[in-house]
Amino acid sequence: MLENIKKEFSTRILVLIPIAIAINIAIGELVVRLKLPVYLDSIGTVLVGAIAGPWAGALTGALTNLIWGLFNPFAAPFFYVAAVIGFLAGLAGKRGAFENESPRWLSVLVGAVFVFSLTMFILAFSNASIDDTGFTSYPSMADLFSQYAIIFVVAILIGAAIGYFLLQRGGYAGFWGLITGIVAAIISAPTAAYVFGGVTGSGTDVLVAAFRASGAGILSSVMAQGAVSDPFDKMLSFMVVWLILRSLPARFKAR
Amino acid sequence: MNTFSMYVARESGLHKLYPLTKASLTLLLLIAGLTLPVNWAGYFLVLFVIFPLAIWGKVFKNFMRIVWSISLPFIISVIIIQSLFWGKGTPIFEFWILAPKIEGVIFATISVGRIILVMAGFILFAMTTRPDALMISLKQVGVPSSLAYIIVTTLQIVPRFVTKASTILDAQRSRGLETDGNLFVRSRAVVPIILPLVLGSLMEVEERAIAIEARGFNSNREETSLIEIPDTRAQFILRRIFMVLMILSIIARVAWQLST
Repeated sequence: MLENIKKEFSTRILVLIPIAIAINIAIGELVVRLKLPVYLDSIGTVLVGAIAGPWAGALTGALTNLIWGLFNPFAAPFFYVAAVIGFLAGLAGKRGAFENESPRWLSVLVGAVFVFSLTMFILAFSNASIDDTGFTSYPSMADLFSQYAIIFVVAILIGAAIGYFLLQRGGYAGFWGLITGIVAAIISAPTAAYVFGGVTGSGTDVLVAAFRASGAGILSSVMAQGAVSDPFDKMLSFMVVWLILRSLPARFKAR
Repeated sequence: MNTFSMYVARESGLHKLYPLTKASLTLLLLIAGLTLPVNWAGYFLVLFVIFPLAIWGKVFKNFMRIVWSISLPFIISVIIIQSLFWGKGTPIFEFWILAPKIEGVIFATISVGRIILVMAGFILFAMTTRPDALMISLKQVGVPSSLAYIIVTTLQIVPRFVTKASTILDAQRSRGLETDGNLFVRSRAVVPIILPLVLGSLMEVEERAIAIEARGFNSNREETSLIEIPDTRAQFILRRIFMVLMILSIIARVAWQLST
């Protein structure tokens, strides 16, 4: 175990980690300048995870948020989320998610399942009803499907298109990004809800407000907001890393 | 050298404290403020501990400006969302579709206290502690030097990378890349900016690795430091007391949680 961890931290990886952290922060700030509704602040973390392994990825993630905290205190309490993202990227790398090309039908499937579940999720929330005792009840899946059949078909088609044109042959990377995003949304919600009262001070707060208005509790509203934005963001980050690793000369990867 | 931090150089007692003393005090304030089963602990600690410390550190004016500008978006957001969109509760007044609930306003006020505590704690620490001094003190207590290398290097290269990203953005713009317009247009600008930034920086890895290996990075000899940071016996004891208090406040929280 300890030997395996040590093996991940060669001199080259030690040099790569600060560069990866700087990439995280630089792109994170650039995305804000371009006013895009994603974060993309874990590309460096995923990159180290993919090249070196889970422990190096986790260290990169944790340090990114802690160092960013010297400048932007909001990031610091979420250091453990970034660590888990790096760790999962490392596991994905070990399984060859960033090397192997997936068949295109898998990308289509990943995209379709993603947009489908996102739609189901939003519809379930917006159709929730609260009774007099304050108990929230959600509509049954069968009701949802019969009521919004067309929306679901459209969602599946859009998802399939995203999978085919955006994920292309990076279906494995996209799949792992999706999983990572879901995990990140779940584990970051308690901190966001408890420490920051459920807000991030950015545009995604509109989503929290919408979920709160539909009667959901603070924790589940934050989790729901994360579930909408995190999986997409992480899927994108994993895809970018997949692209980067494919563009690198073989000489670099050999080490 | 331009480093990525909020450090403000002043001649004060707070600046002269050993970095780890300040770090453990900050940690104690955060843990106590977030775990103590008293809803107003955040406000109390900010008013009676952090503000006096900021005045002692002669940074109060800058400190207030930064805390204010960073926390304001959060405060506005939390007040709007939690008071207006609170599910069931007693409305204070009703006007058109606006009906702020008392419970929501109370929750928002408690959250604002926590937000200000976290922001103020981190900002005061960052303003009065030199990053390199913090690293040296961490090394003195046995943090591996490779970790110290990562942190110090990051602090030095982040400003350079942020500039590099802007340069690439401008360069791609001058070649006709559209970075304004609707969401679709702006999203398409991401890859042509990210790929050159990342690929270019990865090419640096090789050079840097050779450079630090040539300077004895992997040597097993004991390291010495050019700068010595003074520590005192009193501060050592103070840090132990802070640690005990952290544990006590967590125990208090657990006990309170179990009893209710």
